[in-house]
Amino acid sequence: MSELTTLQKWLTSIIVRPGMLDDKIRLADEHYQLKNDKVIRPSLRLSSKQKIEIYSKGYILRLLECMEAEYPALNKLLGQNLFHTFVKAYLVQLPPNSPDLYNLGEAFPAFLKGSQPQTNNLDIDRPMYDLPVDLAMFERCIAEVSRIEGLENKVEEVGDNQMPYLFNTTAIYTSPCLKLLNLQFPLVDFVQHVYNELEPETPVKQDSFVCICRKNYRVNFHELETWQWHFLNSLQNKPNYMAAVMDTASVCSIATDTIMADLILWVPVAISLGYVYLK
Amino acid sequence: MDTIDTNRLGLPNLGLGVGLRSKHYSHLMQNDPVVDWFEIISENYMNNFGYGRHVLSHIASIRPVVMHGVSMSVGSTDPLNVDYLKQLKQLADFVNPVWISDHLCWTGVANINTHDLLPLPLTVESMHHVASRVNQIQDILQRPLILENPSTYLEFESSTLHEWEFLSELVNKTGCGLLLDVNNVFVSGFNHGFDPEFYIRNIPHKSVVQIHVAGPTDCDTYLLDTHDQPVPTQVWRLYQLAQELTGGVSTLLEWDANIPEYPELVAEVQKAKEVLKGHLPNVPVSRTSAVDVISNPVDHQMQATYE
Repeated sequence: MSELTTLQKWLTSIIVRPGMLDDKIRLADEHYQLKNDKVIRPSLRLSSKQKIEIYSKGYILRLLECMEAEYPALNKLLGQNLFHTFVKAYLVQLPPNSPDLYNLGEAFPAFLKGSQPQTNNLDIDRPMYDLPVDLAMFERCIAEVSRIEGLENKVEEVGDNQMPYLFNTTAIYTSPCLKLLNLQFPLVDFVQHVYNELEPETPVKQDSFVCICRKNYRVNFHELETWQWHFLNSLQNKPNYMAAVMDTASVCSIATDTIMADLILWVPVAISLGYVYLK
Repeated sequence: MDTIDTNRLGLPNLGLGVGLRSKHYSHLMQNDPVVDWFEIISENYMNNFGYGRHVLSHIASIRPVVMHGVSMSVGSTDPLNVDYLKQLKQLADFVNPVWISDHLCWTGVANINTHDLLPLPLTVESMHHVASRVNQIQDILQRPLILENPSTYLEFESSTLHEWEFLSELVNKTGCGLLLDVNNVFVSGFNHGFDPEFYIRNIPHKSVVQIHVAGPTDCDTYLLDTHDQPVPTQVWRLYQLAQELTGGVSTLLEWDANIPEYPELVAEVQKAKEVLKGHLPNVPVSRTSAVDVISNPVDHQMQATYE
């Protein structure tokens, strides 16, 4: 290993490792056979260790700020101290490896889920563990929808007359930036309150079918009726509109005719919100 | 080194510019940008097909844009991230930037990215390593790379070169350009006890393509590159000297935390005109006793547009 490689591994290991600075430096010195005060030039004002600390402290503070920016509602729910505790543990388990900061929080929902204690569904504390995971999934989806390819510049506005789809349902597709979440808590109001800097009420456990989408560069998220959510979910995965209708009818135990009749009224709404579009 | 040479790699003096930040998107979509040009953080737009890219497209249609990266990790001993460079090139094809810049630093090793601008030991080994990588990067990007001097808070005992010597030699070996951050020179000069004016007098002025100005924070025993304050008098003085020696190059105000409203941002960069007339603003370096001050703030990159 070249001297440059050794120095870089030595400093990186100190910066990203958890624990007290003195311990981190001692472990790195031992592992890489270096002495910090022989590697880093001290000055009259700062020792070698104090200089290293500027970087190790900055690393955590900088990434905490990024995670706060991506997960403001979760930060609100947990409180900053607990949120920081989880983020710091996350950064220890999965140090960032991408040049893109938007990848930093990608695995955070899965990390939170993995950190839950093993309890059964009847455990009275179960919602306390499930709610942060759902909220993290919700906010991660918002972050992704805000950046992935959407329909802007690709689809022309249909205008007021959105009925032509009735004559050609094979032309209906879901937006590439449509995300569907089946959650255990209704989170739309909670998240909207936080984003509008209002005091949110903690939601009570209840099945929730959420759609997160972007239209004209604005991210929107709404609670859907169960059949609407299943229809969009099927349309994302099935070969065509009728297959999605049949699938929805089957999953929701609703007559196909009823689904089709409801869709006549709802598809224009779904088009206006950017969930689906006419190709 | 005190003679004026305005080669700048044939790149133009764009005038006064500011960083494109999400806080100002709405304002910029509805108002004249006033400034001459914009600098973007490349990574913020590389995989971004949302509102940010829409705003960038608008800005690029009315003003010159320069791409400034923070993750190229020119000095890392990890292999070059070719995927990253391909994405950077794709963004360049979209933006058509006047130039592409990054930092003389490394951001991590062993596939870890600290998202910080870490200092290199300034040795002959580092020089060969960085020069080789700059040449490879320039081949991929098919244009000269412009490299910025970072703010640093530590020096390696093994360093045998001063930073200005390292940069001069790097320019000789690669033909790269320099982004002279006079605030970083001020910060590093204080932290390491060198004379920032001597530094600026001893870099190859004809290779300086751009200047950064920004406001640091005095943390008592060291200065931190916080980009969250007005530019202090000492930094304006270095700016004045750099402009004299280079014959005039593009100027960019960096403001990445505690970001003001757009008119205030523009007023700050416009101070450069008065500085060049000899009128230095009387602005002290901001002081703090807080322990959670952050250098190189990056959270401004994380912003969605909700409804």
